[in-house]
Amino acid sequence: MSGVRSSDDTRIDAGAATAKRRQDVELSIIVPLYNEEANVRPLWDAIRSALAPTGIAYEVLLVDDGSSDATLAAAAALPAVHPEVRVVKLRRNYGQTAAMAAGIEHARGRVLVTMDGDLQNDPLDIPRFLATMEQGYDIVVGWRHDRKDKFWTRKLPSRIANALIGKVTGVPIRDNGCSLKAYRADVIKKIPLYSEMHRFIPAMASLAGPRLAEIKVRHHARRYGTSKYGLSRVYRVLLDLLAVKTIIGFASRPAGWFALLAFPALLISAASLGASFYRLLALEQPFSTTIAGLGVLFGALAFFLTMIGMIGELVYKTGDSREDRLSMLTAQRVTAGSDAAVADEDRDET
Amino acid sequence: MRRLQLSVVIPVGKRVDDIESLHHDYRRGLDRCGVTYEMIYVLDGDRDEGRQLAALRARGEPIEIIKLGKSFGEATALMVGFANAHGARLMTLPAYFQVDSNELPKLVAAAADADLVVAHRWPRRGSRFEALRRSAFHGLLRLITRQSFHDLGCGVRLMRRRVAKEITIYGDQHRLLPVLAAQQGFIVREVEVAQSPQDEFRGHYRLREYVHRLLDLFTVFFLTRFTKKPLRFFGMIGSATFAAGALFVAILIVQRMVFGIPLADRPALLLSCLLLVLGVQLFALGLLGELIIFTHAKDLKEYKVADVIEAPGRRSERKGGLAPEADAAARVPDYPGYPKATSG
Repeated sequence: MSGVRSSDDTRIDAGAATAKRRQDVELSIIVPLYNEEANVRPLWDAIRSALAPTGIAYEVLLVDDGSSDATLAAAAALPAVHPEVRVVKLRRNYGQTAAMAAGIEHARGRVLVTMDGDLQNDPLDIPRFLATMEQGYDIVVGWRHDRKDKFWTRKLPSRIANALIGKVTGVPIRDNGCSLKAYRADVIKKIPLYSEMHRFIPAMASLAGPRLAEIKVRHHARRYGTSKYGLSRVYRVLLDLLAVKTIIGFASRPAGWFALLAFPALLISAASLGASFYRLLALEQPFSTTIAGLGVLFGALAFFLTMIGMIGELVYKTGDSREDRLSMLTAQRVTAGSDAAVADEDRDET
Repeated sequence: MRRLQLSVVIPVGKRVDDIESLHHDYRRGLDRCGVTYEMIYVLDGDRDEGRQLAALRARGEPIEIIKLGKSFGEATALMVGFANAHGARLMTLPAYFQVDSNELPKLVAAAADADLVVAHRWPRRGSRFEALRRSAFHGLLRLITRQSFHDLGCGVRLMRRRVAKEITIYGDQHRLLPVLAAQQGFIVREVEVAQSPQDEFRGHYRLREYVHRLLDLFTVFFLTRFTKKPLRFFGMIGSATFAAGALFVAILIVQRMVFGIPLADRPALLLSCLLLVLGVQLFALGLLGELIIFTHAKDLKEYKVADVIEAPGRRSERKGGLAPEADAAARVPDYPGYPKATSG
């Protein structure tokens, strides 16, 4: 990637070097681990036996997210024996999204697969993900159609959340919570991942307009350790969703988004001011300071929101996402090479 | 050439004791540590001590003097000192007597398995009231950050280079350095050291000082909890405000509809709508914050990788050229989160 913006000669060299390095590893499997000491070994065995028949060159990135148990020790013992394994140790516990982002950053494969470290996903599904990627998709997400979880506390909230996320972001995926996903490295490496955004990766990726597929995956009940999820994060997901909506819908034109928010305030303002003057002039009642005050107040809100939108434009102009998005689209044109890509190209330029 | 082991940075700001006797005192303590060191005095603005220090330097003392164009605050002075330091580890010392210099080797010993060592003056002299004020500050800090410190006011700290490189402080945030370091995942240790017999608190804190400390706490609160999720912070306050406003409006409407209390001349309506408006504004600020985070996500990477463990012979190219005996400073650019040089 580093050669993209440098002079032509170095770009060719860097490109050749990158291509050579890429041949070493075709597939990177990224597994964030947080206090999963009992699962590390079985997980690696499962991955190895699932991928051995395919003969693909792969690496497994175990990301230790500041575990307090023996997870790191269990993971760190592997690379010496199995060179396919690399362990990325985070300095402290940062959460699943950060752990995934760290793994994605260190991954060298052309295709990246993320999965949970608790054996709920089955590595046997990975070859099917790869097959789907071969058909020209940029992102393949898993769908746990037969979930082994409690209905009321896990399945139902998740179903509602998925419907909501699909509706708001416009990327209808049946199971955003499933960690088993496959990405083309060029695409995922350019998507900013932070906070608890791992849930919204497909939605965020829609910024780049990649082709997305959903396939059914097996789901196992937890064998060892305890679950780290709960119902308590509903409000956070809602706020994050609003943030994602802002970003994917309006990151490139914040003024429009805030103007949209300002519109109802402007309406209320006009209505209140109109009403107070109507009372005064037509009905000849005493002037209502309260209602006129309301009009001024909401008018001020509309003004404030518009101004925030201006600042938003400023932020976007000084930020790095603009350039990034363009390079992401370019990468896609080069890699895809199908009719769909041509269609995308036409759309981008209009 | 053997690498310098320790750089001592001494910011010379408002509070200064006689710099010459202080310097000799520190020299005695540092000589006992058994490491090679340099001393860097950073003059925060135009200060008279500059002449004394120049005289010391002329007499062959191993010191470097950096003068800032104007007073920027102790934290900035420290950062400038760090930028000019050559040692593998960095020590900060105050420009006044705070700890017994014979205790400095303790810090060096404790630094073996920690990224940052901070001194904790103990036993401590001083009035009851001061002790109370101190414990109130540190108690509040513990509440906010869940980190336990006892003496953030102490200017004696010893850290790896990496700590100084990854943490940016300015103004008078020097007290927060240990808090921010712990937040970044560095191992921070407190070491009890004897207080200097000359460490005396003169005068009393003015109201402004209290306000500044409170603002410090607020800064820490925001920096450690919400920098990555502004909408959660603003959204929480905003939705609470909005909900309160909506509730009031609902009550007023019910009163109008059911009890026939006229609405047009009720200031309560204005108040409740003010709450609504404030709620929306806070939300909008949160959204703006999210935009900033998104568009600058590359510079604001939140995680720090401590190490990559892989099979020998398959080391990645980013670490390939690194000899095992290379010092910590050379490794820094390999860590994500450290601002990389932009290409092109």
